[in-house]
Amino acid sequence: MSAPMDRRTFLKRAVEVGVGAMVVGTGAGIAAGVLADRSRRPWDASAFPVPGRARVAVVKAASYDVDLEAIVLDGLRAVGADVAGRRVVLKPNFVEYDPGAAINTDPRVIAAAVLAMRRLGAAEVTVAEGPGHRRDTQFVVQSSGLLEALDEVDAPFVDLNTEALVPRSLRSSFTNLGELWLPRAIVEADVVVSMPKMKTHHWAGVTLSLKNCFGCVPGRVYGWPKNVLHWAGLNEAIVDVSAAVHPHLQIVDGIVGMQGNGPIQGTPMQAGLLVFGADPVATDTTAARLMGFDPTRVPSIAEAARFLGQGDPERIDQVGEDAERSAVDFATLPQFQGMKVGGTRGAGVDPGPA
Amino acid sequence: MVQKRANASDNGSMSAGLFRRATARLAAARSDGGFGPRPGMTAEPEPTALAAIALGDQEARAWLAGHQRADGGFALVTGDVVSDSATALGALALAPGEARERALDHVVANQAQRLPANPDWPHDPNLRGWGWTPDTFGWVEPTAHAVLALQVLRPSAGSPLVDGLAVLADRECVGGGWNCGNRVVLGVDLPPYAQTTAVALVALQGAEPELFARGLTALDRLWRAERQGGLSLAISLAALRLSDRPAANEVERVLDAELDRTGLLDDVVALAWTAIASGPGLDAIRRPA
Repeated sequence: MSAPMDRRTFLKRAVEVGVGAMVVGTGAGIAAGVLADRSRRPWDASAFPVPGRARVAVVKAASYDVDLEAIVLDGLRAVGADVAGRRVVLKPNFVEYDPGAAINTDPRVIAAAVLAMRRLGAAEVTVAEGPGHRRDTQFVVQSSGLLEALDEVDAPFVDLNTEALVPRSLRSSFTNLGELWLPRAIVEADVVVSMPKMKTHHWAGVTLSLKNCFGCVPGRVYGWPKNVLHWAGLNEAIVDVSAAVHPHLQIVDGIVGMQGNGPIQGTPMQAGLLVFGADPVATDTTAARLMGFDPTRVPSIAEAARFLGQGDPERIDQVGEDAERSAVDFATLPQFQGMKVGGTRGAGVDPGPA
Repeated sequence: MVQKRANASDNGSMSAGLFRRATARLAAARSDGGFGPRPGMTAEPEPTALAAIALGDQEARAWLAGHQRADGGFALVTGDVVSDSATALGALALAPGEARERALDHVVANQAQRLPANPDWPHDPNLRGWGWTPDTFGWVEPTAHAVLALQVLRPSAGSPLVDGLAVLADRECVGGGWNCGNRVVLGVDLPPYAQTTAVALVALQGAEPELFARGLTALDRLWRAERQGGLSLAISLAALRLSDRPAANEVERVLDAELDRTGLLDDVVALAWTAIASGPGLDAIRRPA
């Protein structure tokens, strides 16, 4: 593994390619910095086999009132999900709760996923999350309706912010973190399913199944918000954390996503889609394209595509809906226009500490 | 060993029933002398400190004394990440003496990093506050814990205390109250939360009167909107009891029902705050007149 790139070097490189000043995750500029230097390989190649072809399913779902269990079951089957006899942990996105905002993975999709996993033979299905902004997990999971939805399907919830921890050496070194202490529920699961909301993100461009892995990192160690990760560099941390968690399956809730100033303050965007995959990079590459983003310009996806999964659309077998016809143009902040398909780079504005 | 304080029954604001139920759950959560974040888990500094305050518990204090680091801090150490934000609560939990003073010394000596000056950020870069971990930015909750410990135990702390109070003022959300510490991002006002607003009010206890008053007004609205959160209710109750607000009785009823219905999801920190807010532990965090 090559030497890790520290935060200062990362930023310096970004500035060297002439895309403006930035401190904490500012979009297209950082993408350009990373992509400008393909010689570095800050990961243990023996731990990450060269990604092969991947399959991603894009399925229409007009609303949350349709037969989601059948849709999720079909989507999982389409990507060859094999969970028979396995302990499955579903990891949705409940970073925050705000009534009326499309922040969270919809509880109806999560409940449908619980039932679908059982129909596929899962030995047990648990839902787990560690909210990143709110310390009061009970408030988030009750007010959002998650606990009620899980009661209806008799599925347990685990608060990852208070779960027992297990050290895990990082096998990539985009940050200097070296190791992460991850919740036992995640580490001991046979299958981790990242279930993000399809959203724009005012530091990372988009937040999908890779960024959703941040919720696996416990607040009582890394803070609310998880400032250690942001201090280490947001895009770098996304890559390192998602490489450590390495979700086996992904279900992206894009029935109603969030556009604009996501992941909290944006506006709802009805895309009417669910995206399924068994390779987080392929899934995020496809979902980003569906949102009108060029995934090669989204820093975390572009870097992850070098070792963690398949980012080449030519090597992603997409089933279900046609990507081009299903694409929905998610509005983004001006500084992230450079990440959009056909976009030009913005100047880069730093939103502030996180 | 759970020890009731001599003056417990004299506390007119105490709800004996809520206190009894919360402490019963807490006592059952004990692990290797201290308390973990959930029952049965390995003890950690923050839940142990809060439980020690809530229960006036010698065994928990002994656990803290045995786990105090050479630098005086109490930390959850996970590899290279040393989360020492529980030190202020540890100081509040300890009996008067050298260990407590060393903990306070650690608090004073370990403020957060200054923010780089940036015209896009709505924060004063000269202020520091306290972070969750060393070498990161200051945030509302760890800053509030430090301010609380200094106001209660070392009111003569001087510039660190002044700085902590200034950080709470600097991070106040537009209209009053606090979230985790970002009041405006990209020109958008971010809303306050009940839990962090209550933590800041517990720390202030009337200091910075106008800031405090705006926070109380915000909390009166926020706790109702966030009444499904046990931790939010518990700290709100503590804040309202400390300031003798009549709304405390209503909060207590809601919290009692939530404890009965959900057990606060076995969150030991929430249970400990419930016991503090409804029992004699409140006096241990009361700012001297």
